[in-house]
Amino acid sequence: MLTKTFKRGIHPLHSSHEGKGPTRDLETREYVSDTVVISMAMNIGAPAKPCVKKGDHVDIGQVIGEAQGFMSVPVHASVSGEVIAVDQVPSLGAGNMTAVTIKNDFAETWVELHPLGRVENVDPAKVIPAIQAAGITGMGGASFPTHVKLTFKPGATCDTIVVNGAECETHLTADYRLMLEHSVRIVDGLRAVMRALNVKKGIIGIEDNKPEAIEAMRKAAQGREGVSVQPLKTKYPQGGEKQLIEAITGRQVPSGGLPIDCHVVVLNVGTCAAIADAVIDGKPLISRICTVTGCVRQPSNLLVRIGTITEDIIGACGGYSETPGKVVFGGMMTGICIPNDQMAIMKSTNGVVVLNEKQARSKNESPCIHCGRCVQACPIGLNPYQIKVAADKSDFESAKKLHVMDCILCGSCAYQCPSRRWLTPSFKFCKDHITAEAKAKAAAEAAKGGANK
Amino acid sequence: MSLRISTAPHMHNPLTTQRLMQFVFIALLPTAAWGVYAFGFSALLVLLLSMASAVAAEFVWQKIAKQPVRVGDFSALVTGLILGLNLPATAPWWMVIIGSAFAIIIVKQLFGGLGDNFLNPALAARAVLLASWPVHMTASACVNPTFFQAGVDAVSTATPLGAPGTFTLTQLFLGQCPGAIGEVSKAAILLGFLFLLLTGVISWRIPVITVCSVYVCTMLIGGADWQGALAAVLSGGVLFGSVFMATDYVTSPITPWGQVIYAVLIGLIITLIRLFGSYPEGVTYGILLMNIATPLIDRLPRTIYGVKKEAKKA
Amino acid sequence: MSENNEKKSLGKVFFNGIIPENPTFRLVLGTCPTLAVTTSALNGLGMGAAATFVLVCSNIAISLLRKFIPDQVRIPAFIVVICTFVTMVQLLMKAFLPSLDESLGIFIPLIVVNCIILARAEAFASKNGPVASAFDGLGMGLGFTLALTLMGSIRELIGNGSVFGWNLLGASYEPMLLIVLASGGFLTFGLLMGLVNLIVKKFERKRAEKEAQAA
Repeated sequence: MLTKTFKRGIHPLHSSHEGKGPTRDLETREYVSDTVVISMAMNIGAPAKPCVKKGDHVDIGQVIGEAQGFMSVPVHASVSGEVIAVDQVPSLGAGNMTAVTIKNDFAETWVELHPLGRVENVDPAKVIPAIQAAGITGMGGASFPTHVKLTFKPGATCDTIVVNGAECETHLTADYRLMLEHSVRIVDGLRAVMRALNVKKGIIGIEDNKPEAIEAMRKAAQGREGVSVQPLKTKYPQGGEKQLIEAITGRQVPSGGLPIDCHVVVLNVGTCAAIADAVIDGKPLISRICTVTGCVRQPSNLLVRIGTITEDIIGACGGYSETPGKVVFGGMMTGICIPNDQMAIMKSTNGVVVLNEKQARSKNESPCIHCGRCVQACPIGLNPYQIKVAADKSDFESAKKLHVMDCILCGSCAYQCPSRRWLTPSFKFCKDHITAEAKAKAAAEAAKGGANK
Repeated sequence: MSLRISTAPHMHNPLTTQRLMQFVFIALLPTAAWGVYAFGFSALLVLLLSMASAVAAEFVWQKIAKQPVRVGDFSALVTGLILGLNLPATAPWWMVIIGSAFAIIIVKQLFGGLGDNFLNPALAARAVLLASWPVHMTASACVNPTFFQAGVDAVSTATPLGAPGTFTLTQLFLGQCPGAIGEVSKAAILLGFLFLLLTGVISWRIPVITVCSVYVCTMLIGGADWQGALAAVLSGGVLFGSVFMATDYVTSPITPWGQVIYAVLIGLIITLIRLFGSYPEGVTYGILLMNIATPLIDRLPRTIYGVKKEAKKA
Repeated sequence: MSENNEKKSLGKVFFNGIIPENPTFRLVLGTCPTLAVTTSALNGLGMGAAATFVLVCSNIAISLLRKFIPDQVRIPAFIVVICTFVTMVQLLMKAFLPSLDESLGIFIPLIVVNCIILARAEAFASKNGPVASAFDGLGMGLGFTLALTLMGSIRELIGNGSVFGWNLLGASYEPMLLIVLASGGFLTFGLLMGLVNLIVKKFERKRAEKEAQAA
């Protein structure tokens, strides 16, 4: 079996199977909670506008938030029942955001669906609107609206669709279980997109520490023209978009560009399955598989509704086994800490990892000893220690010259650093600052241009 | 309920700076033990004194400068031990203390402390001592008589480099020859090298390429046969320097190709100084000169994902 | 610029060269003789005295001639003036202090291109009256002499165990040869420069605190 990979990278927790042991072999089980809190927030683009009010009865799949503009997608009810509140709740990274709270009546009644039928006969022009209507955003972590990704700017062409089944993050097994249990759905979703874009090649990339998934996907892809499975070396960040493209196609996304600039579109396996649901059954995205692990009594792979509260999820897994120090949405390398366990699951939440007090304690920085481990780790080929020097001085110009904008914030350098330097947080700060500065500059220029007119 | 918040990543490789320094310290122990066995009790005193004074110098300086005291990170201890191993067993006590204080205060702390020194502290101190008290530094050690085979004088003044051909390759390899405490036994040094390789503290590049470079340069420039070139590698501090001093993280290049350039040039400079210079040994200056060149070597352009070469020039 | 300087008292002009704008440690001018001749205290003093003489005389002469020297050729003109005095010093030394002349060697004629002298001519003497220029030259010269003597004393003490030829550290002292070598010169120079900067900074901080309290 020929495995492909990218340059450099790291092996976090390699000896302990990246922390995936506890949930690897557990079949997905469904968990439906009493209430769900569905946020109108979009990671990118304007938040949706709520179109239900307190006291309304909603069915599963009913639109409760209308999309605002092209970068936005509609929001659907994930349970049936009564709307008990439409108010502001804290959301990750965006301050307070409007959210709709629904009390579940467990009737599981659906709204009327409009399936497009079998993938072979589907009208290509209808696929992308269906994807938008189903509220599908990237399920790997970035939550980028999928229909935007699939709508190219003029002149751009795509010859390959890469499906990301690498799941290189530690602790997470959600994509792995999905590939085992719903392999045909993933392939169907991929074929629907290939048909919509008239692309002849679809490659599913899977790390070689998941041989069962490779086998299952191979079986599902059998006889499907243009669809193939590519085993990848187990290495972090193999599932990073740029690394995946380099490993599978040998091409590189140009600096500052998008995958489409090298004629590739990358979709997560979860996104593919959601696309299949939307196209074949007409179902919107209302649930996802989420790995719950760490300091919980009963680590599990849960199929949960979007908007389920973290506390309920932990409860469904037997509760905390130790006093929690940190709760992370996503894996240990790139996941986001949540401030309290009242936060709701989003479309991109592929895991909930609970850390105990000791694991959560942040380490003190000590001086850089120039050991070069960050340089050996960086999958992009940057010199993280040099960028950190510039970042510490708030010297954003130098940081930019050292290509901080090409950093993918994978955390490999910070993981490896023996001096526990806060490399990735610094780079995130740098990138945010530079982006904000560029935006402010563009806005100022636009205002000036407007004044001149 | 209060949860901690931080930016990713949420976990780290268990290897810390302190652990790295401890590994280096352990790797130096066989060499030190052999030195003490070969040169007797005075060697042990020199080593203990150099370590104690290095740690004390760091502690005192950080107290005076009101910096957080970082003596616990083992780096001063390692510097002290390396310096001690670079001295002859006959070194007077005051010279050891001056050397340690110079290494820690002037070379390391005045330039910003751990990670910011531009020279290897122990080597710079050795160079200073060599220039200041050449008689003490080149005085050959009184060696353990039982250790030497019959026929070799217990007190010999000729170092292998001063009088080539005096010692056989086996004697050189086992360290049955005069010299600094740590540099004589090549077998113990190789043991330490193996330990550093297995624990992943250093890569093979710098030591192996430096030694190869000395070997090849001695053949090409000095016209030596394979035995002569091997003797050149086994004499003096080539092995000790290339394993324990040229690999100092702070003062050696970071990128693989940078390390290759660095190591090849160290070997070249060592050979040139030995063959044409007025000093018999060139390891100290070879490594120090390339220490200075390290920031320059680290500026060599690297290929960055998605950045085309033409774009970089512009 | 010139108005500012005229407002300063002569005392301030004089002291300016000794610490606040010490040519060696603060302005880092004339480093070549500083590094080369300070192997002993006496050499440092001799070099400093010779440079001070040239500096005072050239400052006065250039200050007197400042209205007659055309701007375009002022540097050659300054150098001609400086050369005259340097030649005088050289001949005087050869006649009366032959041993010092021998140990200073080429560095006496090289006073011509000493940055301090040309810099003071350009920056001060060509814009100020002869009295102020004389004081400036004297202050700068004394600052230079002090710095050189200090460096010479330290290097002689450590590298030879003596100061001005008097053995201070006893016969059993083993001199640190490095300090009297060229690298020792750089080392001593760097450390002293750092020390002086530290002291000046502390002094300034204290003064700023006092002023803040007064205000």
